[in-house]
Amino acid sequence: MVDALSAVRWKRQQDAVIEVSEHGIVLIVEESACLQAKVYLQRELFVQYEYRARDRPRFGLSLGLFVDCLNTFSAPGSSSCIEIRYPGPDMQLLLRSVDSLDACIYAEIRTRIPDTITWDFNFEPAGSTPINFTVKSAALKEAIDDLEWPGSSIEITLQPTPPAVTLKGEGGHGDLQVDFLYYGTSDLLVAFHCDEEVSNRYKYKFLHATTANLPSNVIKDNRGSKITIGRGGIMKVQHLVSVTRSLTTNLASSAGYQQPSRIAFIEFFLKPEENIDE
Amino acid sequence: MKFKAFLTDNGISLLEKRLLPALDKLDRTCVLYLTPQHTLFLHNLLSSSTVIQSVAQVANPALFLEHRISSQCDDRIALTLDTSLLLRALRSVVTISSSCPVQIKLVKKLPPSTTQPMPFLSFETKGRNSAVIHDVPISKPFSRSQVLELQAAIDSSQTLPKTLVQIPYLNQLMSFMERMRHVGDSLNVGVSKYGDLHLEISTPMITLGTEFQRLLVLGERAEPPAASDPGASPGKRMEVAIQGGDGLMVQVTVKNFTKSLSCHLAKPDCAFYGIEEQSGCLVVVFQFFIPGTRITDKAISLHCRIPVIDTGCN
Repeated sequence: MVDALSAVRWKRQQDAVIEVSEHGIVLIVEESACLQAKVYLQRELFVQYEYRARDRPRFGLSLGLFVDCLNTFSAPGSSSCIEIRYPGPDMQLLLRSVDSLDACIYAEIRTRIPDTITWDFNFEPAGSTPINFTVKSAALKEAIDDLEWPGSSIEITLQPTPPAVTLKGEGGHGDLQVDFLYYGTSDLLVAFHCDEEVSNRYKYKFLHATTANLPSNVIKDNRGSKITIGRGGIMKVQHLVSVTRSLTTNLASSAGYQQPSRIAFIEFFLKPEENIDE
Repeated sequence: MKFKAFLTDNGISLLEKRLLPALDKLDRTCVLYLTPQHTLFLHNLLSSSTVIQSVAQVANPALFLEHRISSQCDDRIALTLDTSLLLRALRSVVTISSSCPVQIKLVKKLPPSTTQPMPFLSFETKGRNSAVIHDVPISKPFSRSQVLELQAAIDSSQTLPKTLVQIPYLNQLMSFMERMRHVGDSLNVGVSKYGDLHLEISTPMITLGTEFQRLLVLGERAEPPAASDPGASPGKRMEVAIQGGDGLMVQVTVKNFTKSLSCHLAKPDCAFYGIEEQSGCLVVVFQFFIPGTRITDKAISLHCRIPVIDTGCN
């Protein structure tokens, strides 16, 4: 959880909104109406998940505090079981370690009422055929890291022939272009769908946030991050974070059944620069 | 005023590997108090009540092969020194492999380019081919009245809280404090006669705490009320204990509490926590066992008194 939540923590003081449903928990972070990130923690990730609410509860909290707090619970070298409960008597988020009867760690995080009008991206497909590509996470991160020096604006172009993705930055110091070419033998671009050329510019600051804090296991597993361009040039970046090596894994394997998928999904939505200007 | 002694190997190892590294973390300056029976290292016993105080005492036979001490103040000598320099001198003398024991004595020497002789604690060791003398600068030894004042402060620091609870796993407490200390500056510490130790950092945004239950109790103890709710929150349980007169809670700085945990470098076997009502401080007594046994080693004692920033809710 710490890994997944840290991936959407791009600054120190950051407010997040948590939405709880029968399917799991979604944490949403936004930045100046240009960037939104969502972390999906499905109920299957939890040892036990009880949901007894009529409307999906939503509450705001400080992401930094939540992550630091979760970190306090996890002692190095030992797996700990934490109970997370909402709401507390004062609408707090309550956390409690449940490993030992004689020693426990607990926390109460104050929540706030989230803004009723949330800026929503309404991400819709750009046309009848999807425009997307899947690239190795490590390569994507490296390319975006490299694009730091040319400038504040990065142009991302997808072209069908020859199938390729180009990330280009033009700045005072010079230009830098990174090409991901799609051909059979390359395993860099895992998938590519695009039937007409699309090109959009994104603020580097926000583009960088989509890969800056990727947990090390995403880079190590190097599965692939999926990037989709939607209507109006809105870009969706999806990462998968493995959530394993916990007590539950041991329990699941000792019980002799196949453990359900232990993946947390992270999604970033990024508006192109033209839309921001509007 | 004379002091001369030969350190035992165990004594050197106790000072060099355990006591001094811990004391150095508490505060660099300490008072070395030599008496015919004990050697004591004292921190802040005579200073203001906002800093952590500590008393480390070792029986002389555990440190010295033989020793001679004489002064006009009932053969007691007190002086101030820098623990890191003392540690450095000890580390330097142990590097010389020698069958001769390390000699330690009080000397007055004329440092280069001065006319006034200065007091030093001198460590001397002779190897096969070389000899090392390491002089640690010290303060002028305390006057008789200062020594008496110091002795009175030690005596009053021996008052123990009515209830002490034992923490057998210092490591757990340390790792918890390590991760918790950035949350806030002050820590609420509660101790109950039921054997509970409760630590909590509270800010307007978050309350983060840990609770240890069913700990070994020394002194006054009590049974938790039969009607108590086992599912109650740790804060609520401590509140009930305080209201029933079975618990005390104080607030100390996270910095001081964390500092006191550096005493683990002295490798104590466990620690006891208690709240001293009269002087209003959190007392931590570290217990040492005779190696290989569960019997208290009476030759070593170490305790800290952490000043309270607020009298708390009781």
